[in-house]
Amino acid sequence: MTHRTGWTIAVLLVGPALTGGAMAAAQDSQFGIRGLGTPGRWESVRSRSAGGAFAPFDPMSPLMEASLADLGQLTATAAGYTSNRDVLVGGTTTPLRSTRFPLMGVAGPVRPRLVVAAGFTTYLDRSWDVVLRDSFMLRGALERYTDAIASDGSVADLRFAAASRLSRRIAVGAGLHLLAGSTRMTAERRFDDSTFSRVQQSAEVRYDGFGLSGSVLIGVAPGLSIAGWARSDNRLRAKVADTISAVTDLPRMAGGGILFAPSPNARVGASVAWRSWSRAGAGAFDTWNWSAGMEFGPRRMPIRLGARGGQMPFGPGTQAPTEVAGSLGTGRAFAQGRALIDVGLERLERRGGGLTERVWTVLVGLTVRP
Amino acid sequence: MTRRRLALLGAVLLVAACVERLSAPANCPDFCPSGQITIVDTLLTSSIHRDSSHRGYVLAYQSALMLAAHLPGATDTLDGRPIFRINGYGSRIRLGTADTSTGAILGADSARLQLYVVRRDSATRNLRLQLYRLPITIDTGTTFGALVAPFTDSLVRTVNIDTLLAQPGRKDSVTGDSVVVDSVNHRLLLSLKLDTAAARYVPTDSGTVSYGVRIAADTLASIAFGKVSLGPVLQWYLRVDSLGAPVARKPGVLAAALATFVFAPSAAPIDSTLAVGGVPSAHSLLRVAFPKAIRDSSQIIRATLYLVPAVPARGAPPDSFVIEARNVLADFGAKSPIDLLSGDSAMIHPGATDTVKIEVTNLLQQWAADSTRPTVLLLRPEREAQTLGEIRFYPSAAAAFSPTLQITFVRRFPFGAP
Repeated sequence: MTHRTGWTIAVLLVGPALTGGAMAAAQDSQFGIRGLGTPGRWESVRSRSAGGAFAPFDPMSPLMEASLADLGQLTATAAGYTSNRDVLVGGTTTPLRSTRFPLMGVAGPVRPRLVVAAGFTTYLDRSWDVVLRDSFMLRGALERYTDAIASDGSVADLRFAAASRLSRRIAVGAGLHLLAGSTRMTAERRFDDSTFSRVQQSAEVRYDGFGLSGSVLIGVAPGLSIAGWARSDNRLRAKVADTISAVTDLPRMAGGGILFAPSPNARVGASVAWRSWSRAGAGAFDTWNWSAGMEFGPRRMPIRLGARGGQMPFGPGTQAPTEVAGSLGTGRAFAQGRALIDVGLERLERRGGGLTERVWTVLVGLTVRP
Repeated sequence: MTRRRLALLGAVLLVAACVERLSAPANCPDFCPSGQITIVDTLLTSSIHRDSSHRGYVLAYQSALMLAAHLPGATDTLDGRPIFRINGYGSRIRLGTADTSTGAILGADSARLQLYVVRRDSATRNLRLQLYRLPITIDTGTTFGALVAPFTDSLVRTVNIDTLLAQPGRKDSVTGDSVVVDSVNHRLLLSLKLDTAAARYVPTDSGTVSYGVRIAADTLASIAFGKVSLGPVLQWYLRVDSLGAPVARKPGVLAAALATFVFAPSAAPIDSTLAVGGVPSAHSLLRVAFPKAIRDSSQIIRATLYLVPAVPARGAPPDSFVIEARNVLADFGAKSPIDLLSGDSAMIHPGATDTVKIEVTNLLQQWAADSTRPTVLLLRPEREAQTLGEIRFYPSAAAAFSPTLQITFVRRFPFGAP
């Protein structure tokens, strides 16, 4: 397969996302209903199976750009997640399920020491559907009703990135992020008294925003690397029928990681990230997130384990909801390493404001090196 | 084979994995969207204006029924009398179906008159029907007053329907009358035998006969007779001259050429009140200043029109009637074309003075959906001129009792708000 053919396949893979034809969504949460949404995780299946610890060092994870510098050939990747989520609140458990395709990207060298990448990932998931049973006095009588308010869609992060290895020890990268997406929102009320018509309103809400990021990867010693990244997004603008309905400041964020590879068959990593989500307004919190993980075994079929924890940016009360997760996974290379399939399983628990979410997520990723 | 099974298993898993289930009970306000559905209820007390009434849409002879009533009141008696004319065969008739020769009609031995009673109150007791011979000159313009004399001196038959219903086989063997009860359609088919005196075939009048019906009962004397396919029919039993010898002939039955009714007192003239119903039927138009704020940025979920009767509803007590509100396609006053696709209605009980409520939600939803529609409500009886009932409401000029609209609407949901 020629270099041009490879790029053609890669562009076909990612193209719909870049033109807005496909919008991604990540694992949603009830904690995102009140706020802007549920932030996506900018990690490939390989990284996420290890708790996200390898994301700063993984060229297929759209967290950092500098890690792209060591990509020797054109590579495209995509991921799909299926989540089974139990929401526990007020003694009631509601099982929910969703399937998302939150990641797609392509990267490859265009010049010696210059690698470029394009792709999309979920910035904010805004898919939810709540049903409320209540009553109120209307025309002198107690009227009972059922409300169903739903949002279906997300805000995607379309990233254009470039990275370069400046020296044997240092690689740098930068990225331009276009935030774009839409949600189809519906609000419906059904009265028990049929003399009141059903209330049904809907609108398509479109979002846009802009961000810049930069990162550095440093080889401290043979087998030991550290990484640092920073990103700033300006604001998320919501439009309904060409009328601006809301403008919300987006967070600045920074993070770092460490990777230790004592042998070709063992890698251990950890990472941390801070995000100033409190800029988004009331009910939003700054968050810290950490992760640690390992990968061992032959590269053709390694075993991955990881754990992560931290805070969620939106929730009721004065304290940010928390989350903690454990994950495991593996991968398998095919066709002399030109195709890789990664699978993973994650168990996640989120708590806050009297609500608990427990999630099983099955992760499937495909990476192609034409 | 194993590969095929694996592919099938994979396809099943893929389909199962793509099933979305996002609907969860809300736990508000902590885990609900910040925007809520906002309901507003408002009373438009002065938005109806330039209202008017018009009479003459359906006249008695255009009604689908012939109304009979005799209801004494405090000041007058509501008296409705069906009248009908049945044209005859002329002075001659064919002697046989295979013979084109005709014979002079000498007279009638007898006749049988069939009448459908299509509406009656089962609580009515001792219902009596009186058949009168009327002048054959009756027409659509004949008035109640013009028939006072024949309705006084030309009685030809009296039938007690309750007595007839009580007869074995619902047949009176003495008079030859019978009645058939159609319990499915709630009708009675009266079959009255008329003797030579009651059914006079006068060749010089071409055999045309006219009859009128009066009814009486102990209470609630109000019924309706059918018209057209359920109208009066007459079967003559004639004597015809055949080469000098009289022969009996039974020609085909004849339907009524004219079927209408006269009544007293006649409908009061239109005044400043909003009249609906009666005979000839009356309509009222209500023009509404529909607030732009409701029309443009909200969804109407309920709208109720309140009308206060100016006088007790007229009509026969057992004959409650329905009035309906409809939109018009264009406002041309009395001749406004009516939108027949949707309407809302209310039941009116004669004698009642309670405020009438009509749910007009779908009509106002049409106004909100199409700003080119005239915001005019038309009130009319659901079945025009099929009851003597009429109601009159206070107009907008009567400030304390003017027509009022209560509208419940939903403001635009704050989509896009965080």
